[in-house]
Amino acid sequence: MEQRPQVLARAVEGDPESFSRLIEPLLDQAYRLAAVMLADRTAAEDAVQEASIKAWRKVRQLRGDLNSLRPWFLSIVANECRMTRRTRWWSVLKLPDIVSPARDAPESHADLRSALLRLSPDERLPLVLHFYLDLPLDEVARTLGVSPSAAKSRVYRASKRLRADLTIEEVF
Amino acid sequence: MSNDDFRRELNSAFDDVTGTPSSGLRDRVRSAVTQAPEARAPYWIAGVAAALIAVLIVGVLYIAGPLKPPSTVGGVTTTPTPSASASPSAEPSPSVSPSAEQFVCTQEVIQSTSQDTPPPLAYISGLRTGTHGTYDRLTIDFGNRLPPQVKIGVQSGTTFTLSPSGMQTTLKGANGILVAINEADLHTSYSGPIDIVTGYPGLAEVKRIEDFEGVVQLGLGVNGPACYHAFYLTNPNRLVIDVQTPA
Repeated sequence: MEQRPQVLARAVEGDPESFSRLIEPLLDQAYRLAAVMLADRTAAEDAVQEASIKAWRKVRQLRGDLNSLRPWFLSIVANECRMTRRTRWWSVLKLPDIVSPARDAPESHADLRSALLRLSPDERLPLVLHFYLDLPLDEVARTLGVSPSAAKSRVYRASKRLRADLTIEEVF
Repeated sequence: MSNDDFRRELNSAFDDVTGTPSSGLRDRVRSAVTQAPEARAPYWIAGVAAALIAVLIVGVLYIAGPLKPPSTVGGVTTTPTPSASASPSAEPSPSVSPSAEQFVCTQEVIQSTSQDTPPPLAYISGLRTGTHGTYDRLTIDFGNRLPPQVKIGVQSGTTFTLSPSGMQTTLKGANGILVAINEADLHTSYSGPIDIVTGYPGLAEVKRIEDFEGVVQLGLGVNGPACYHAFYLTNPNRLVIDVQTPA
């Protein structure tokens, strides 16, 4: 089996097939990140596609090894989501996809989802990275472009916005 | 509530919001990447292209530049600004001041008409402010070229969300104007202040909201209604935003 660093080298040299092989394992996470930030599934897929094209064009700028690929790509996706939101502001404002809560869903679950959607997309970002995509704090930090302690602080602050009575031990 | 409980509930809420990606997403992305316009030509091609463009520009400037009168853009006659400074200072008076009907109070997209083949980014080299009686002026200098598109929007209140941090910031003034400049950066050629408090009657504060991945956003805190008149000027390249002062 071919070593991934060779795939990365070929992608950097301009081979789209190699680049596609590199990012395909990340597309599901990228979609989930975008769907949470945009609260719009169609727009999320569009954002992931656009971010993939941008990543392809910028792959020469990728620093580090394959461990850097995921935070690098997810940061491009997050930025594309911000661009999408800005574009919407200038054109059409859409309501987020609202899914009716299941009949047997506990009230606290519906409350948590409502509270989640009330957060700004940039507040949702550290939560989705850490809790939903299970990224370790240092990778959350690289995706956000901040220090690990700042990333931890953002995760905790956003968690507190959801549940005011949470302690830091309950979050991490 | 334990960590696991919180995580489980949160992930369940995330699942509700996201659903699952369509089965065609992978093929879509693969197809888009394969068909994306080639941005990966060997460097020497870019170098040759840049050299040819430079020769063309120098030739045009040599032939037309010295004989050309001050440029006219959008009906406003301009005179070259002697030098760009990074600190807030009163700038030379414009030859024509905007009349009241030129101010707009809604969002606007300003397109550059420059025909030059653009380099990757427009580098902002200066932010200058000045007050002129009926309007206050923000001048954004560009060292190399004008950006292809600037979006300007207005909002009530002066709270902006910094990007990419997501933190909120509140500027001085009553209303806000957000200037979003695509394909630009504020850190290559600019080293001045990123938060300028003017004390002017109209334009109260200018602050960098974003300078990330080729997008620059500036927030303007405005006293009174957020009405402005924005236009490009050349020689040197700059974007001018005149903010109407309150009556």
